[in-house]
Amino acid sequence: MTSSDQLTDQQSAHTEQDLVSYLTGRLKTEVAAAQDLFDTGLVSSMFAMELVVYLEQCYEVAIVGPDLKLKNFRSARSMAALVHRLKTTVTPDAGAG
Amino acid sequence: MPAPADALADECALVDDLVGDQAGDWDVAGRLPEPVLRKLATAGLLCAQVPVGHGGIGMSSRRNGELTAFTGSRCSSLRSVMTSQGMAAWAIERLADPGQRHGYLEELTGGRLAAVGFSEPQAGSDLSGIETTIRSNGDGVVVDGEKVWVTGAHYADMIVVIGRYEDEAAAVVVPRRARGVLVSRVVNPVGCRAAGHATVRLENVRLPASAVLGGGGTALEMLVTTALTYGRVSVAWGCAGILRACLTAAVSHATGRTQFGQPLADHQLVARHLANILVAEQVATRACEHASDRWDSRSPQVGIASVLAKHVAASQAASGSSTALQVLASAAGQDGNVVARAYRDAKLMEIIEGTQEICQLILADHAVATAR
Repeated sequence: MTSSDQLTDQQSAHTEQDLVSYLTGRLKTEVAAAQDLFDTGLVSSMFAMELVVYLEQCYEVAIVGPDLKLKNFRSARSMAALVHRLKTTVTPDAGAG
Repeated sequence: MPAPADALADECALVDDLVGDQAGDWDVAGRLPEPVLRKLATAGLLCAQVPVGHGGIGMSSRRNGELTAFTGSRCSSLRSVMTSQGMAAWAIERLADPGQRHGYLEELTGGRLAAVGFSEPQAGSDLSGIETTIRSNGDGVVVDGEKVWVTGAHYADMIVVIGRYEDEAAAVVVPRRARGVLVSRVVNPVGCRAAGHATVRLENVRLPASAVLGGGGTALEMLVTTALTYGRVSVAWGCAGILRACLTAAVSHATGRTQFGQPLADHQLVARHLANILVAEQVATRACEHASDRWDSRSPQVGIASVLAKHVAASQAASGSSTALQVLASAAGQDGNVVARAYRDAKLMEIIEGTQEICQLILADHAVATAR
């Protein structure tokens, strides 16, 4: 593993922890990083949209098209993975939204 | 109260110039003149939030909201087409890949017209019942299904159709003139009579894969919520416009007509009606401003704020227009009259983009989730 991989892994873990804090505050209940928010009935499609905008605003990414899949918002971990992927993938037009 | 026309003088003047005193005639005829739609579309005003980089004006939600309210105060049918075009543009902005996005948005800001098809005969409030399919077939896709009450479809050059795609959903841009597309107008709709509501039948419509926004695979709920969030904010501002038209008409009538030796406005029971219409207009406007400010600050609360605004503004428009009709009485007793239109148009606003009851369910769900 290169040092840059380690760095991004650390960032991803950091993002995951941020999201756990956000979700815990927002849902007023303890949330675990891998907890399935949909199965536990914590999240509606309206809240899923809230998460989309939250992630976009907080992490300066654009979540569009096929990334708008529920599975990407299923847990703090999956959201952190999505953010990580979007941060490390070059999207020439990401700022247009 | 600040006059929106001050901030949007040129845009409002163009709308005023194009609509003139014809909205009543358009309502009775059930038709908007195509040149009016083309002029506004070419000016980019039917989807004014499209970013400048894509050929749009790049208005904020707040400014576009005021423009939408102004247009709605003149003609709700025209405002409905504006809502549809804006919603199509927003869906494309959110769902398309970069290449598609620029191409389609340039078309929509350059004079082409679009509508969005959600509802089906068996899927209204419960959009999880959507049966329209988008299937891969060789290099392209095949679309089959039926969309009902598609606002603006009669005028549209392209229809953004929401359908099932593989295990998820997709939005596909269907050219009106594609083989297998049949658009038939809703006859005598109760409100927004000139908005070009239509049934769109899609039979074995073959399109290139590039017509599927972003390659598809979006969750149906997220796709629908994304598009409707824009639609709800827009409808809410349209309702504020309905109320502004009602307030103007009711005050004009109540101060201009004398009964029992004094102007109607000096009769206390009528005066209370005027107060109630003013309150309705202000309440609706505050809810709209709240939602647009959430939109413009990119707040995660924009989704729920849009539902709240639509619910509040449509309720206020329905009650406020009913009150205005009571004030004008027989003076507004004929179709085409601004208040008669408002009364019918406002009722329709309690139904589209999520019925009042669906909005209440979403709001209740939000109340429970945030109170835990």
